[in-house]
Amino acid sequence: MTLELKNNIEKMFKEKKLPSENIEFRKKQIDIFLTKGFPNKKIEEWKYSDLDHIIKQNISNLNFELKLTGDFNYNNSEILNDFEHNKIIYVNGKIKNFDFPFEERENIEINYNQDFKTSKNSINSLINLNNALTFNYSKIRILKNYNFKKPLVIYHFGTKDINSSVINFRSDFVLEENSSLCVINIFKNHSKNNFININQQYKISKNANLKNYRIDSELNSGINYFFTNIDLENNSNSETFIYSAGSKFFRNEINCNLNDKYSSAFISGIINLNESQHHEIKTNINHLSENTKSYQLIKSVLNDSSKGVFQGKIFVDHKAQKTDGYQLSKSLLLDKDAEFDAKPELEIYADDVKCSHGSTSGNLDENSIFYLMSRGLSYKQSKKLLVDGFLNDAIEKITNQDVKKYIKKLMKI
Amino acid sequence: MLEIKNLKASIENKEILKGLNLNIKAGEVHAIMGPNASGKSTLSNILSGKKGYEISGEVRFENNNLLKLGIEERAHKGIFLAFQYPLEIPGVNTNNFLKTSLNAIKKARGEKELDAIEFLKLVKKKSSDLKIEEKILNRHLNVGFSGGEKKKNEILQMSILNPKLSILDETDSGLDIDALRIVSEGVNTLRGSKNSFLIITHYQRLLNYIKPDYVHVLKNGKIIKTGNFELALELENKGYENFL
Ligand SMILES: Nc1ncnc2c1ncn2[C@@H]1O[C@H](COP(=O)(O)OP(=O)(O)OP(=O)(O)O)[C@@H](O)[C@H]1O
Ligand SMILES: [Mg+2]
Repeated sequence: MTLELKNNIEKMFKEKKLPSENIEFRKKQIDIFLTKGFPNKKIEEWKYSDLDHIIKQNISNLNFELKLTGDFNYNNSEILNDFEHNKIIYVNGKIKNFDFPFEERENIEINYNQDFKTSKNSINSLINLNNALTFNYSKIRILKNYNFKKPLVIYHFGTKDINSSVINFRSDFVLEENSSLCVINIFKNHSKNNFININQQYKISKNANLKNYRIDSELNSGINYFFTNIDLENNSNSETFIYSAGSKFFRNEINCNLNDKYSSAFISGIINLNESQHHEIKTNINHLSENTKSYQLIKSVLNDSSKGVFQGKIFVDHKAQKTDGYQLSKSLLLDKDAEFDAKPELEIYADDVKCSHGSTSGNLDENSIFYLMSRGLSYKQSKKLLVDGFLNDAIEKITNQDVKKYIKKLMKI
Repeated sequence: MLEIKNLKASIENKEILKGLNLNIKAGEVHAIMGPNASGKSTLSNILSGKKGYEISGEVRFENNNLLKLGIEERAHKGIFLAFQYPLEIPGVNTNNFLKTSLNAIKKARGEKELDAIEFLKLVKKKSSDLKIEEKILNRHLNVGFSGGEKKKNEILQMSILNPKLSILDETDSGLDIDALRIVSEGVNTLRGSKNSFLIITHYQRLLNYIKPDYVHVLKNGKIIKTGNFELALELENKGYENFL
């Protein structure tokens, strides 16, 4: 990337009137990014999703210096009325609205300070990019013993006003002891050909509980990277469900650090693609203490020439005795040009553990189709029934009934 | 109702049916007996429209050229196959499936579809007639069902869909005595001047409950003998090996 780009970015930092220390931090981060560039397939972890290539193919003249000056509007009819919820609304990556009508505000701290600390996991150049260019940052702290009464929906609206831009934002959540939160990230992207780079950090303290759902269901041209780090302390739990179906490209990357005893992390997900969509789920589950548990189930349905990828890693530290780790990926390839790549990885340094993984890929079963059609169902109906049935056990993992119902509605089940 | 003329079928260059003739009139019950691998399931698959066979000959069902109809069209026209090995369909609720199936057929026939309440009433009645535990209808279709439960579920589908021609492919195999009686009652209830049956079985005992009008012996892809109920007894005594 050019020197000119670098100068422009540095000029932008000055215009924002950031503290000099913060500017230094951002300069370092952008330098790292500019040196490394976007991840490409030469990097082992990105071998199935060459982001550098995908961006070049889909976005010409990528704009890094997005000036968020417009008064972007979202359409109110896109706010869910399926269940009561609190809201955070992002429009084109800019925070538009915080609305917590169902909660006791004295138990929630919200902080918009742009002078955030770097996230400790700079696992790839996109994190550096996010560190350098995030001007929309929020930190939400849920105080001890407080349980959110209603889910928090984070809307990610993209409007037609922008295109070919890089959009970065970040939000951090701290769940103090014995607290709980249900977060639902919903993508409603009407913008064209943007690269959206999101970083969410969760710190889940002792006995706290996070439900973390993300729904990308509407067809759009967005290229997305959504990095999530979840740190789990003693006896805390996180449940993640991913519905990955709408965007041109989406890589959900989830890091769970099971830092202390009896913590657990559950991830289930659906990749459901058509045409030339390409989605990846990448997980890193780090069992770092004894008696920790993880469970992952990913179901993928690939039509046309779409491509799905699941790379799931379970790491078990030598201290993490009595780890229970499970991972399963199943995919249905419905057209000859569809592709699914699975790379399960187990890295185990403790001896008293129970870990397993499995991966299968197949077509629709012709005999099952025959059975259903012989009962009067059309081919289309039979196929839908089989596909819905195939995806069912991933949906059944959702423990929030409102969200489960909403997902089923989206999938017309 | 069903007229099969010189039906030949092969799969992967192996000829399985070798010129089969069969006539079933409305209201008749026909039994087919025959050794393993003689082509009984192949015949029922072909009548239901399963793909993958090379077929010649003629099959007419009422006024239709059956071989030209798609699988689901045959179901709409009133053909039903109780599978020898009913398939397990994970993630698909049995009740929902039954309702989708019934309404697909009703819709194709231009009849009014049933709403949830009407359907539940129907299913409750039919499943209690067949002594099927209602609980299993809330499970996934055939998944983890016992052998007998799967067979009973086929008969439940039959009695809900009310087909004109029911083909029962070894529905009696693996049923205990009570289940056998219940299944037979299911057939006998449906039996009438309009509904016909093609019952494939290895055992004469089923035919004690469902008295067939004709018994055919299928061997090596052909019907080699046709008779009445007595033929079944004779077969059971002699075995296929010593027969003819
Ligand atoms: N898809 C197939 N490919 C190859 N051969 C097949 C196929 N389907 C059936 N056959 C063969 O056709 C022959 C007839 O099979 P079919 O299932 O019709 O027998 P059946 O009379 O129903 O036997 P059973 O009493 O054991 O149920 C068998 O030899 C079987 O192996
Ligand atoms: Mg058979």
